Formats: sequence, structure tokens, C-alpha cells
Amino acid sequence: MTPLLEAKQLTKRYGSTIALESVDLKVYEGITGLLGANGAGKSTAIKLFLGLLKPTSGTAEVMGQESFESVEVRACLGYMPEHDCLPSSLSAAEFLTHMAEVSRLPTIHARTRAADVLRHVGLAEERYRALGGYSTGMKQRVKLAQALVHDPTIVLLDEPTAGLDPRGREEMLDLIWRTGKECGISLLLSSHLMGDIEHTCDRIIVLEGGHVMEEGAVSGLTSETQTILIELETKRNEVLGILKGQGIKATVEGSLIVVELEGEEQYDAMRDAIVGAEARLRRLTPRRHTLSEVFQDTAS
Amino acid sequence: MREPSGEVFDLGYQHYNGPREGRARARKALWMNGVRTALGLGRGSRAKILPVMLFIFAMAPAVIMTLIVSVAGSGETLPTHADYYRVISIVLLLFSAIIAPELLCSDKREGVLFLYLVRPLTITDYLAARVLAFFSITFAFICTGQVILFIGFTLAASEPLNYLRDSWLDIPRFLAAGVVIALFTSLLPLAVSSFTTRRAYATAFVIGVFFISAPLVTGILTESGTNTAPPDELPEQRESLGESEPLVGDAAKWYALLDIRQVPTHVSDLIFDEENESQVAKLVNELPTVIPILWYLLLTAGSGFVLWWRYREMRA
Repeated sequence: MTPLLEAKQLTKRYGSTIALESVDLKVYEGITGLLGANGAGKSTAIKLFLGLLKPTSGTAEVMGQESFESVEVRACLGYMPEHDCLPSSLSAAEFLTHMAEVSRLPTIHARTRAADVLRHVGLAEERYRALGGYSTGMKQRVKLAQALVHDPTIVLLDEPTAGLDPRGREEMLDLIWRTGKECGISLLLSSHLMGDIEHTCDRIIVLEGGHVMEEGAVSGLTSETQTILIELETKRNEVLGILKGQGIKATVEGSLIVVELEGEEQYDAMRDAIVGAEARLRRLTPRRHTLSEVFQDTAS
Repeated sequence: MREPSGEVFDLGYQHYNGPREGRARARKALWMNGVRTALGLGRGSRAKILPVMLFIFAMAPAVIMTLIVSVAGSGETLPTHADYYRVISIVLLLFSAIIAPELLCSDKREGVLFLYLVRPLTITDYLAARVLAFFSITFAFICTGQVILFIGFTLAASEPLNYLRDSWLDIPRFLAAGVVIALFTSLLPLAVSSFTTRRAYATAFVIGVFFISAPLVTGILTESGTNTAPPDELPEQRESLGESEPLVGDAAKWYALLDIRQVPTHVSDLIFDEENESQVAKLVNELPTVIPILWYLLLTAGSGFVLWWRYREMRA
């Protein structure tokens, strides 16, 4: 599979400060998360791929072309910046039409496209209001819409949930996920919030101090552990008692029974305990590592 | 009962499979956006006040001059196309100082510039479109004034056809002089705007350069700052009043160039082959003809270079 974005020995220095050093990474189709703390080099990497910054050494390629050198390849890119980027005096419809025209769409197509994309992000009703009167959540949606209006191959999202309340954040992540999965647009999503990446992305690249610390599929990183979680609707304490009576290491965590597995035969013991107590089972599943644990392990 | 005649389907997100044009499409979109921003189109009513005032102030001298020509007797000195530019260039400078910075400052202040930079166009495309947008407006306004004036002069002439035959060369002259004035009044404020995100700072600086340079030069030329009379006039009276001698000679001619406000009108006067009666213009006329032209080119091209150089840094 050909990568959409590829960094080869990519280095960027600001004076004596190293933002990225000899980074090699590839971004393929799908939703990729760029995870890292503040100052890890996420925004610098995105700006290098967009051609906004010139690499100190190495290359940042978009579909095989260096974006700093090639004007044409930028037609395939969409960018949702972290900072404000909306003109307060224009309506969303006029602004999106203009951005589509700047991306070389004929005027009549640009207008249609602006209306379609605003409907996709849930702003069909408010499209003729001046952007200055929009809430933070609505502005984030317009920022995403302008990145999509010319139908790019890949969209780079820099901290798309910044400044949003928990509900707004959830809605934004859902919109991003739908854009990636239902609309088939590849996304590179940068965030310092592990939850954002974990629930949205297929692949993850962890940056730390200008270096790639971890790279791979999210499901691969969050591998299964030797801990079993049992969620019951009834008779939790009775099942816990039976398990302990058989010498199984079982504890309670919230509404769950947590079993430290010591052998395959303990699955049968757990089944028998649940059946014996006539408890109603909701879920019995191995625990997966969270990205938080992966990130902490990588950092340490 | 009426049968339903249609149904609405939500097709969801659709990919775009329509045509994509070349870079000219992007440049045209930026130019049109610049024109709309400068004229306040698609914005609130307050954004339209200044452009409407500029239009009124650009047309008023043309209408007044036409009226003067139509009622004046044959022995009187009549206004000319060059006179119109002398009047309008000052009005234009004032308005360009206020309106032009909005084309660049708001893009930087509101962060829209970054969205343009990641689109398939170069920074030169962006700057050229912005300069051309403001140039188009100023050129259109002042040429409209000149067309009104030309029609007025023609209709007021005793023999309109003879006037047309004798004066048709005024048309290419006022077009060429219009380009000179519109280019100067577009590039200088935009170059200043490249240093700030605040429109007010750029406006204050440009107005300062335009309108402080005039009294400054007059002050230098007369030393006392109160007398602008030519040096050979009434020396005894000046001495008796205790005033110092005005600056004369070669230095005065060069100092006269520092009146930035009159730089484009020196070239305009050369195009119309007319002499300006102002003291500064008389001094500049004593210099070789090529000097005011080179000075104009230096300031205009210099402004263009500064603008390009400032924005070139943004992609690095």
C-alpha cells in the first residue's frame, strides 16, 4: 500500500531548538492519530506536510511529492488548524464557497459543494449567519467544513477538539469518525488527548521530544492482558465468593469482578461459578491495555 | 386530496467529481474577494460607508469641474484632466490609507492567511490578487471621474466634434496617469500593512507618511515654516519681519521630492505635459525629468518588493 504521507529523515530546527529529528513515518489511508504532549512536534510535523515550513533536512512527501516544492499537490490536502481561522464578517456559506473557488472549483460547483459540506457538518440551517456570532463548537465544524470543501484525499486536523466542552468534544470526534469511515476521506488527527485518538483512529503515531516513540494499529497497541472482566446484572457477591472459594484471584472494581487469569482452566471455573449462582451475565471479556498505559510506558 | 409530487432523499456526503480549473481560478477568487472586502460587499452596512464616501469624493471634483467649464467664459483659466488628478490624488491617498490595510491585516489577524497558504496557489498569487483588487477599485473610480470630465468638456465646447478631434489624446493620457496614481496609492499602504495585523496602525502610519511629509517639506524649504513664497520675492519685507531665508538652490529641489503626497502627481503632470503651480512642483520641475520618474518607480517598486519580502518569510 502506498503511503499518503511519508517523512524521510525529517528534521526541523528553530535555531538551537530541535522540533523534529530524523523522523521516519508513513501515513496510510484511514484515520491516523498523531499523539504527543505539548512540544512533542505534532504541529511542526503537520506544517511540514502542508508545506508551511521548510524542512531543515530530510523530506516531507504528500503522495510522493514534496509539499513545500509542489503547489499542485496541495489540492489533495485539507487543513483544519488549531487556531482561529475564520473571517468574522462573512457567512459560513460565502466563506466556504470562496475557499472552494480558491481550491479551483468553478463558482457554481463551489456553491453547491459549500452547501453539501455544511449539511454534512450539521450547519445547514445556520449557513447564512455571520461567523463572528458562532459558538466555539460551530466554529470547529466550519473549520472542518472548509478543510473538506474541495474534497481532498487527506485532511490534517490539528487538535480538533481544543476548547470544546465534553459534549462538544464527543460530537466533534463522532463527526471526524463519520468523515473518515462513511465518507472515505483519510485523516491525520493530532491530539495530546489519548481518548481522542483511542476512540477515533485506526493507527497511531506517538511523538515525544521530536522523535517517533511508537507506531502501529491502535488495536495492536492496546493488546489483550491476562486480566478478565466479568460484568453481572445480579448476584455479583455470590459469584465473587464462589471464585475466591476455588482459590481464584478475584477482586471488585466498580461494578466489575476482575480476575487475574492463571490458566486456561479458570475459564471453566468462572462459567461454572456464574451458572451455579444463577447470576445474569452481561459481559465476560479480557481487559485491553489503554493508550494511556502505552503512552506512560513509552515515556518512561 | 393533493397527491405528493416529490420526495426528498438525504444522499449523505458525496465526493466531488466535477471540474477543477487552473491557478487562474484561485487568483480570480482572491481578486474578487479583495474587491468585495474593500467595497464592503456581503458585509454589514458600516463596511460600506467608506467606499461610498470614496466614490462620492472621487466623482464630486469631476462634476464641479464640468460645471465650472460649462459656465466659464472664454478668457478664463479652465480646469484640466491633470487638475483633476492633483485634487483626487490627495483624497485617494487618504482613503487608501484607511481601506487598503483591511485587505491584508484581517487575513493575518483572523488566521485566514494560513488557509490560503495551504491551498494550491503561491504567495505571489495571493499578493498580486490583493494588490490588483485595490488597484482595480481606485483605477475604476478615478477613470470614471475622468470620463465624466471628458464628456463634460466635450459637451461644454462650442464645437464638440472639434474638441474631440483636438483632445482625443487626453484619453490615453488620463488612463496612463490613472495607472500611475492608482498603483502608487495601492502599493504603499499595502506594503505598510505587511508589518502589522492591526488596520489602525497601518492607517495611522500611512496617513502620517502622506500628510506629515507635506508640511515637513514646506517647513524645510522655508526654514521658518510660515513662508512659502519664492525666495526672490519681497526679500526686504521678509527681513523686516525677522523671518529666515527660505532654502534655495539644489538642496531645495531634492528636498521637494520628500513630499510623498505629490510623488505620483509629478509623473502625472509629465504625462499631461502641464506645469503645476505649487512651490514643491516648481522645485521638482527644475530637476532633470527622469528624476521624479525614477523616484516614483523607486517608491512603487520598493513598496512592491517590501510587500513580497515580508510575505515570503511566512513560508519558511
